[in-house]
Formats: sequence, C-alpha cells, structure tokens
Amino acid sequence: MKCCKCFRGKRKRGNWIHAFELNPLKHIEMKNSHILLSVISLSILFQACKKDNNEVDNPPPVQNEEEVITTLQLTFIDQAAIAPVVTATFRDPDGDGGIGPDIFDDIVLQNGSVYSVTLVLLNETVSPADTISIEVLEEADEHLFCFSPLGCDLSILRTDSDGTYEIGLESAWTTGVAGNGTVKVELKHQPDVKDGTCEPGDTDVEVVFEVIIE
Amino acid sequence: MQISGKITDLHDGQLLPFSTVYIIETGKGTVADSLGNYVLRGLCPGNYTLHCSHLGSDEIVYYIELRDDLLMNIHPEIHAEELGISEIQGEMDQEFRNQNLSKIESQQLDELSGKSLAESLKTIIGVQSLNTGSSISKPVIRGLHSNRIIILNNGVRQEGQQWGNEHAPEIDPFIADEIELIKGASSVRFGPDALGGIVLLKPKALPDSVGIDAKLSLSAFSNGQQGVSSGLIQGKFKALMPLSWRLQGTLKRSGNVQAPGYYLKNTGMNERNFSWAMQWKKKNYGIDAFYSQFNSIIGIFSAAHIGNLSDLQLAFDADQPLESADFTYEIARPRQELNHELFKLNGYVKAGDKGKLLWTYARQYNLRMEYDKHLPLNDSLAALNLPALQFEITTHSAELVWEHYTYRSFKGSLGIAGLYQFNTYEGRFFIPFFEKNNMGIFWLERWNRPDSKLEVEAGLRYDLTNQQVFIWQDDVLTNPEYQYRNISANIGILYYFKEASSLRLNFAKAWRPPHVSEMYSNGLHHGSATVEYGDVNLKEEEVLTGSLALIHSIKKAGINIEIYHNYFSNFIVLQPELPPTLTIRGAFPTYRFAQVQARMNGMDAELYYDLTDALKFRSKASFLAAWNKSDNEYLVLMPANRLSQSIEYKFQNKSAQRRFFRFTWDSVFKQNRVPEMSDFVDPPRGYHLLGLSFGADLKYGNQTMSIGLEISNLLNTSYRDYLNRFRYYSDEMGRNIMFRINIPIHVK
Repeated sequence: MKCCKCFRGKRKRGNWIHAFELNPLKHIEMKNSHILLSVISLSILFQACKKDNNEVDNPPPVQNEEEVITTLQLTFIDQAAIAPVVTATFRDPDGDGGIGPDIFDDIVLQNGSVYSVTLVLLNETVSPADTISIEVLEEADEHLFCFSPLGCDLSILRTDSDGTYEIGLESAWTTGVAGNGTVKVELKHQPDVKDGTCEPGDTDVEVVFEVIIE
Repeated sequence: MQISGKITDLHDGQLLPFSTVYIIETGKGTVADSLGNYVLRGLCPGNYTLHCSHLGSDEIVYYIELRDDLLMNIHPEIHAEELGISEIQGEMDQEFRNQNLSKIESQQLDELSGKSLAESLKTIIGVQSLNTGSSISKPVIRGLHSNRIIILNNGVRQEGQQWGNEHAPEIDPFIADEIELIKGASSVRFGPDALGGIVLLKPKALPDSVGIDAKLSLSAFSNGQQGVSSGLIQGKFKALMPLSWRLQGTLKRSGNVQAPGYYLKNTGMNERNFSWAMQWKKKNYGIDAFYSQFNSIIGIFSAAHIGNLSDLQLAFDADQPLESADFTYEIARPRQELNHELFKLNGYVKAGDKGKLLWTYARQYNLRMEYDKHLPLNDSLAALNLPALQFEITTHSAELVWEHYTYRSFKGSLGIAGLYQFNTYEGRFFIPFFEKNNMGIFWLERWNRPDSKLEVEAGLRYDLTNQQVFIWQDDVLTNPEYQYRNISANIGILYYFKEASSLRLNFAKAWRPPHVSEMYSNGLHHGSATVEYGDVNLKEEEVLTGSLALIHSIKKAGINIEIYHNYFSNFIVLQPELPPTLTIRGAFPTYRFAQVQARMNGMDAELYYDLTDALKFRSKASFLAAWNKSDNEYLVLMPANRLSQSIEYKFQNKSAQRRFFRFTWDSVFKQNRVPEMSDFVDPPRGYHLLGLSFGADLKYGNQTMSIGLEISNLLNTSYRDYLNRFRYYSDEMGRNIMFRINIPIHVK
C-alpha cells in the first residue's frame, strides 16, 4: 500500500518512468510486466487470424450440396418387343423449390405386358447434365429404389444387385388388366443401414406418377 | 433479513473503517467496524435506498430490491490527495432502474455453471428457450426471440446469424459475473430493435487492488457425460498501477445425451473459448480493451435430418427415433461449426463535475459452417469435405455517449451509435450477400429527487438503417437497396407508495427493419421439411408496448406481478401457403414470410413466503396469449403457460456460510393456443419436472469455495416441449445429475 502511494506521489511530478527506476522491487516487477506483455501480445496474435470478408463472390458461390437431382427418367422396353418403347419423365429444372416441374409425364403402358425398365437420374442445373444415377450405382450399397403401385394391376421387381441387395436402377414391370392408378418411385439413401427393405434411411427422391394401363 | 459486507476503496481495495451506512426508508443506520465490515439487521423484503458515506468520498447511493440476505461490498472512490472533490462513483450500475430488470447474480451464476446462456436465463420468470435438440438453445423473452431481442456481450450488441431458429448465441456465459435481463421493449439505449427485451452479460469490474486473483469452476453432468471447466486469472501489478488485466477461458465437452430409454445419436458438443481484458485507468480517463473468442462444434441429432414428408411421417409415428446410437463423444454429420470473435476498445474522459464522455469501438467476426448429414455423391466433391453452407459476417460498431451527472435532479446521456456489417456465404444459397449500415442517436434522462416518491425515466432514439443486398439471378448480379428510418421511445414511471412497495408503469415503442433472411429466404429446410420463401416487400415491424408492475412485500411474504400488452403492426410471421411445393423429393408444405397485426397479452407473477427463517417457499407463474389479428388466429411457436414452485431449506449455522437444500417443481401446460393447420403434429402434452439441489460454501484457509449437487428431471420423465423444434423426433433429455465446484484463489 505504501509503495503504491509513493508511486502515485512521484507520478505527480510528471515522470513516472523515473519513479519506476527508484523502486527497489524493480526487477521483480519488470519481470511481471514482461510476462504480462508477452501474454497480451500472444493474445493479440490470436486475434489476427480472421480477416473481414466483405467481397461479393463473382461468379456466384458454387453449391457443394450433397446432390441436386432435377430429373427422373423411366424408359420402358417391352420384353416381347410388341408394345412401343415408352418414356416417362419428371423434371424440375431449377431443383427443389423455386419454379415447379416443367415436365411431369404420365406412365402409359399396355395391359398384359412385361417391361424392362431403366431408371436415370440427372442433374440438369449444370451443362452438360450430370448423370446422378451413375454415382448412385457407384454407391449402390447405400442406395435402394422402391416402387409402390397403387390402384392398378401392376407388379414391379428390381432386377439388379449391389452384390448383396437389389438396387432398382433396372426393374421388370408386369402389367395386368387395363386401369388407372399411381406408382410411387422412391430413392432411399441408406448408408450403413441398407437391409433390402425400404424403411431405413432418408428419402432423396419421391415422385408419384399417374399410371394408365391401356 | 440482513445486508452486510465490506467497505473498501474502489482503487486499491484498502479497507475503509468507520464508514457510515444507513437506509433511508427505515431511517436506521450503522457504522462499519475497524475492518470495514458492516451489518444491517432486521430488514423486511422490499425496496431500499442505501447510503454510504466515508470521509474523503462522496456519498454513494444504492437502490436495492431485497429478497434474501444480501452480501454487498461497497467501494467508494477515495481521493486521499484531493479531499473534497465531488465525485460519485459506486460499483453498482444504476441504469434501467425504472424497467423490468431481473438479475442473475454472481452466486446464482456459480450454481448454473456449465449450462448454456439460454438455460441459465430460464431461471428468470417469463424467459423460456427455443431449442433445436438438446445442444442448441436460444433465449425467448415473453414469446420473442432472435432478431427481436438484443444480447449485449460486455456492452457490445452480439451480431452473428441470430435470425435463425437453430442459431444459438455464440457466447460463453462464464465471461459474465452477472447477467441482467430487461423484459419487453423498454430501453432504446442499445438499439431500436429490442422488441422483446435485452440480455446483458456483465463481467466483473477489473481489479482495483494489487495482487492476483483466480477462480476455477468445474462441473460435471451425468447426461452426455459432460465436463466443463472454466478458469479466470486477473490482477494488477504494483509497478504499473493504472493497469489491470484478466485472462479467462472455458472448455466444454459433451457426448451423446440420453432421453429416458435411449441415446440421441450425434448430440455431442465441444466448446473452447477464451477472452482477455485490460484496463488502463487514471483519475480523469480510462481505456478498456477486451477480446473474446468462441469456438464450438455442435452435433445435430441425426434422426432429425429427413429427406421429405414421408420420412417425417415415419419419424412421427415411431415411438423411438429411427436411428439408434450408443454413447460416444464423437461428433459426425450433421453438425455446426461456429466461431465468434469480439474485440472491443472503450474508454471515458471525465469533464470535471459536469459528466463524462464515453466511447466504444467493437469489431465482431462470426463464422458459421453447417455440414449436411451426407457427403456429396460426387467423389471429388466429397473428398473436400466442405460445409454445405457457410456464412461469414463481420460487424464494426462504434458509439459516443455524453453522460451528464445529476443536474436539477436529472441524470442522463446523449449518444450516437453506428454500425457497419457485411455478410457473405459459400455453398448452398440461403440468404444472400448483404451490407448493412445503421446510424442512431439517442437521448435518455432520469428524474429522481431524494425526497420524492416518484421516479421517471424516458428515452428517445432515431435510427437510419440502410441494407444493400447483392444477389445473383441467372448469372446477373443485382444489388437492390433498402432504407428504413424510424423513431423508438420509452418512458418508465416508478412510484413508491409504501416503504417496501412500488408500482411501475412503462410505455414504449420499438421497431426493427425486416432482416434479409425474411426478405430473401428461398429454399428447403431439411430439419423441418418445409420450403420457405422471403418477401422483398416487407416493411418495418413496429411494437407499442405497455406494462404495469406491482411490487409489494409484507413481513415474511411478498409479491411481484407484472402484466403487459404488446401491439404489433407489421409483425413478421411465416405463413403456410397453398399449394405445397412439388419437388423431386415429393411435395413440401410451403411457407412465406408475411406481415400481420398482432397482439400479445401476458403476465409474469412471483410470490415468496418465508415459512420460517430457514424454510422459504417461492412460486412463479407466467402466462401469455398471442393473437394474429389479421387472420383471427393464434400466433405460432409461442411459449406455453408455466408454473414453477420451489422450497428451500437453509441450514442455520454460526459461521454464516451458505448451506441449502432446494426442491423445485416445474409445470408446463400444453400449448393449446396454436393456429389451425400450422403444424404437422399437435403440440405435445404438458409435463411436470422435479428437481433437487444442494449447495454449500466451504472454508479453506481464508477463502470460501462453493460446491453443489443438482439433479434435474429427477423422475426421468419422458416429455416433449413445444418450443423444441426436434419434438417431432425424440423426447427431451432424461435425468441429469450435475456436480460443480467453484474455487476462488486469492494471491495478495
């Protein structure tokens, strides 16, 4: 306490550095201040890490999203080669949200036929379009397509395999009697949980097509 | 009850014996002993004005709301060499006396150590939290949150991405020694946009006396096997008297938390924070520097990431989350990685006995990276392991305030504040690049005469905000600009009709410009399976608010009731829209930001009753009804009514050390006030939670450390809360046992 007062007194004369030197405890305190100063400069160094970012990116930032899927295409080939080749497409060119789909076909099939069906997924936000179904095939052990017909006489079997379970990029659709209904096409993403059923995982694609069996 | 403490010099901590302390309302006083200790006994709960005077210093006045025995150390500013110069400086902040101010004191904060800011604030009546799972929680004051409340970290408005419901405040609560909360739009001091209230995190004043102090807080939680350690060291060297300094840091780690019966996958978190502060203080001026860094990695509950509505339906229908897990500290995807830096410089220059000029400059940098659950399918993209979405926002703010000392019973300040902000993003579009400039001027005055039972406080503020948005549309950059200007104002009247009883009346007008997120959001929300659209034509949101509070206490009991009414014009809400948005993932419900007229009526009430000197009972209630007048329906996502009771037993002992046992019972009702068709599922049913805690102060040497044991959700009740956005997917956290120890270390 005493020291502090004496210090204050000296300072009043206007030369505190001088007062500092007079202090018998100089060395200890100098050391303390050095430690302090180094600690603080270290802290200030830490701060120098992150700079302001106030630039507008040009061109616009690239989406590094998991995947953008804009288009689902189904191609139907009659195994008996009697009925004509049929395609059905869902296309939402700007991805999820924004403007809705510009192409959303009905699936028109002939009764009493067996079709080999190939499924293709595209990302058409980039040019040329990115074929997402190739990447799905590369990670076949994490993906499964599920087909659920409703209200029409249609049975669907997946015909391809990842080695253990089916995938669904290739399938066989057997039509019965004429009639109208729907079919729900889903892509399930099932990393580490694929068990051949449609329950686990997240849904990456879900499109419900109108089906007309003539 | 009693008020006691030590009287020491503000500058060097020297004991000030034989100071006089007296209470105006009771007319009773005392003289401190030779060691500067004073005790005022036999007080009833209530509001008191405490005066302290000592030779060589001016009288200090403290206004106290006494609820419990109070330990209050007084630090008059003594000028040994300049006796007689008039200067009033107490350590207690006397701002906001005429508002609904609640406090979490240092001792209480110790009891809460390790909990998040929002969880800590929930101890205040009328405050709830909006949660995203167990790891992300943000404070809700009387139903309002995010852009409608201001959080002040060490005097600086926290600026990050606070618009998002799943963006928790990036603040280490250990920075604060005391947290204050102002409910409602009742102060224009920190901005026009405190529509819901203000949270102030106040660090302890830097040390005035030579020596080194340290404090260590350790806590452990059973649920999530969470460990938190926080340390602080501060001091002042004899060789450099004007300088004081502090270093502080916190480490926090938690693994997967457990709901009754199952673990919640990927709910761990990891936090590393540090801060330093320095102060250079002379008689007529002072400069403070402060720097803090907040870094956290927060796991997001995996089962809450869904692809589409069918997945959501499956999640609702399941009794347990569809993804199971065991305990791990590992944090996988999805997760958030956050980084917040604050650097502040502030100072003051005293202008004789007229007043002082205060200035502040602050820079904040906020980085938010959100990682999706899945890596891109494309291998080369996946290898980069980039966040799906990243925001960087930098804010510079400055303030110049003239504070005048009491003049004809008026005390107040006049100030100007400016803010510059720039936001950028990378990855998926959510909100665009934008630049924000704000300039505000404010004037606050308080009128208060010692002989008057009336106190009046008023404030007026004018703000001009400019927002420029930079948005890419079909490879063309457009940069629309928006300008907003408006006035905010508040008045508070406090009337003491009896010794320990008062009435308080507040009126205020506040406003905020629409946030860029509300104007430009455009896209799919994976957590909630909704598509959200902004509206660029949104106007300013305005609120007119009025509240009336009664504080009344008799011998062993007291009551504190406040009723409030908020009238909003152009209240910004997310409204459902038809038809649903059709995407390749299926159809999603669509919401669009819209503006409505709205009103909110509510009440917060608190009652306490001392059954005996040792046994204290306390009861709290908060009710809120929020109505959308434009569409004649309730407002969505408002907190349900709740009640809370606690009974505390205080062990009587001679050494006056605190030792207590507390039992709490919280009840939350079902939220029935929800708009029709606004949600996928009904709000969850109400629930009751029991809690038990024990705390003690232990002496070691001449220091006192405090330890505590707390069990929350004592009965391991399964419940879901309406304000948790993950209520669709899982139950809330189960029983949690917490042990804490707070050790102060003083090295003279």
